[in-house]
Amino acid sequence: MRTLIDFLVKYSTSMLFMLYVLLSCILLFSGNLYRESVYMTSANAVSSSVYGMAHGVTGYFNLRSINEDLQLRNAALENEVLNLKDEVARLKTLVPLDSATDARIPAARFDFVMATVINNSVNRPRNFFTINRGSTDGIAPGMGVVDQNGVVGIVNVTGRKSARIISVLNVTQRFSVKVKGTNNVGSLSWKEGNPAIAYVEELPRHVKYHVGDTIVTSGYSTTFPEGIPVGYVMGQVNTADNNFYTLKIRLASDFSELSTVRVIKDEFKTEMDSLNNFDERTEPGK
Amino acid sequence: MPQSILRYAILLVVLILAQVLICNHIMLFGVAMPIVFIYFLLTLPMSTNPKLVLTLGFLSGFLVDLFADTPGVNALSCTVIAGLRRPVFHLYSGNDEMLAGVIPSISSLGFAIYAKYLVSLVFLYCLMSFSLEYFTFAYFGQMTGKVLASTLLSSLLLAGIDGLTGVKHRA
Repeated sequence: MRTLIDFLVKYSTSMLFMLYVLLSCILLFSGNLYRESVYMTSANAVSSSVYGMAHGVTGYFNLRSINEDLQLRNAALENEVLNLKDEVARLKTLVPLDSATDARIPAARFDFVMATVINNSVNRPRNFFTINRGSTDGIAPGMGVVDQNGVVGIVNVTGRKSARIISVLNVTQRFSVKVKGTNNVGSLSWKEGNPAIAYVEELPRHVKYHVGDTIVTSGYSTTFPEGIPVGYVMGQVNTADNNFYTLKIRLASDFSELSTVRVIKDEFKTEMDSLNNFDERTEPGK
Repeated sequence: MPQSILRYAILLVVLILAQVLICNHIMLFGVAMPIVFIYFLLTLPMSTNPKLVLTLGFLSGFLVDLFADTPGVNALSCTVIAGLRRPVFHLYSGNDEMLAGVIPSISSLGFAIYAKYLVSLVFLYCLMSFSLEYFTFAYFGQMTGKVLASTLLSSLLLAGIDGLTGVKHRA
């Protein structure tokens, strides 16, 4: 017993060193243990309030270019409204008026929560950013996040007044996308380094595309509605696989200047998820 | 003594805030990230209880991890440099009794020894933190670039910080 105590006292510093190394390794390698825990992320109360205070100062820095983006987006939307109005007017002449007014207007499926990015990173392999809205604002893990230009990420962990978002610039996260106007789905992935460039993989050979085409969300999940811009085709990348090809794309959003984003709430999410679960339950062998 | 504890506490808070609010968002030329908060560990007196140094190392790394969403990366890197700072120090200064309890800085060690001590530990830190963060050989070139460039930038910055704070405690 005595020798044991002597041993512990003699090597206590080494023991402590080993203990801290062990603790760090647990943090590093056991992602699942605390993946659901907000305390271990930048969305915890302390770091989000520090980031919030700092954002109070730095939040004004990029307003000029963000304003330009918003003006462009506004112009595009206004154009679209005018076109749609024309089309509605033209269709009204074709369809009898009573049947047109009788049609039930479907309830809006998607709702948006505005949020401010208080911390952002673009220069790591696994980037996240933090927003100043959380579970009390109705934000839940799995919701999609967009800014004025396009898709920026998916909600990962939520605190009461903050949430951590997995950025598109995260090598572990993939998004389901397609070339606008086609129906074949590819997988968007980011490959470390340049925050403006990403790749769309696993597109079938026969999908036609042109340089400059828009890549949009596929809408095959409850995360994003269909047709939100993701990026623009720059060209094709040579791969070993002959049946699929990979496109190099320029991302629509400027990730180094994220400021105001919208979190997408899908009102149908609970219904869709329960339907999916129903399928899984009834499927034989599962 | 309480005065110096206060000085170190303020230094720790300022360095960690500078790291998470400013330096973590900088990647000069796409490769060089300034690492400033480890200056705290490097500048603790050599007579400090090694267990205290280890604990401070682990905790400061853990704090930076919380802010940067890199669980364990900085905690492990800081623990390792906290554990190795004494052996590295004696490697360059020898077993000189005059330097037994010294506060490592340019003014106390002279430029040559301090530079070797600083660059070695900063390199060790950058090597560990970037390889733990990538954790794959797929981006080996990029990773090596980041390790070397960040070591260079951080060492220059830390030598600068040391020059500035060194003047203060001489006065």
